[in-house]
Amino acid sequence: MGIGYAAIAIKAGFTPFETISMSFLVYAGAGQIIAASMALSGATAIAIILTNFVVNLRYFVMSTCVLNQVEESNLPLNILAAHVTVDESFAMFSLSEDSSIWIYLGIAITAWLSWCLGAGIGVVLLDLLPVIVTNSFNISLYALFVAILIPSIKESRQIALLVLITAVLNVVLGQFLGNWSLIVSTLLGAAIGMYIVDDEYLLSGDA
Amino acid sequence: MDYIMIVILGCAVVTFIPRLIPALCIDRLNFSPKVEKFLNLIPYTALAALICPGVLTVDNQLWYIGLIGAVVAAGLAWKKVPLGAIVILTVVVLITVYSIVPFF
Repeated sequence: MGIGYAAIAIKAGFTPFETISMSFLVYAGAGQIIAASMALSGATAIAIILTNFVVNLRYFVMSTCVLNQVEESNLPLNILAAHVTVDESFAMFSLSEDSSIWIYLGIAITAWLSWCLGAGIGVVLLDLLPVIVTNSFNISLYALFVAILIPSIKESRQIALLVLITAVLNVVLGQFLGNWSLIVSTLLGAAIGMYIVDDEYLLSGDA
Repeated sequence: MDYIMIVILGCAVVTFIPRLIPALCIDRLNFSPKVEKFLNLIPYTALAALICPGVLTVDNQLWYIGLIGAVVAAGLAWKKVPLGAIVILTVVVLITVYSIVPFF
């Protein structure tokens, strides 16, 4: 995915330095790809920044979950952890039973640096890699998400039902809400989950 | 400052603020069991919403490419294959599928 982002950014006129800086400073998978695509199609800076705000609002929820789960942390570590919170690091950590800030930072900083490295590789190899290969790498993030979810789905029909409901909700709401639908269906899904999932099926983050 | 630098710095700020707020006030918050449960449910619903329908746009032209990838990953996870191996095998399967598609 880092490579795919670099491809679009370079096409939109980013220099290699700007392409990699964005991965380092913004660090938002889908957000960066959307920003680069919008820049490519000539959108205004304000429109791009506002869209990014909406698309990345989910990190507020993820950051809250992660920081609620970690123990024995302090403010500087929390701030670092907040910056490196993305879908992958959040998913891997929140569905594990670890609660150490160091384990989280280990997972999340590795993911952050590989994302920046991916952008670097993309800048260099762009013209060498066939579309087939870059598209095939696009699946890796989704493969990770599916792989993280399956054990819980297997264990609990209630979780499976909740996942199904939320997925349908997101598809339906996407027709009306566009970029807002991801965060709205995540929160609405969790609210529905309050009623259909028994406590015993949930990993308790910091209990 | 040029257009691209404004975009990068602007996106960096609006992305960092939502991440930062919980870091600044998490110590002062004590969540009730109900809020805890709500937060514990978020990973499942967030992943569900991230996967569906996003996985169908892995390839902009061929929606089933993503579906094949998701089914392969799910099958491997069901058989308790380790995470890293699932990701690598899924990518390999897709490269294989892409090599076969032109023959149909």
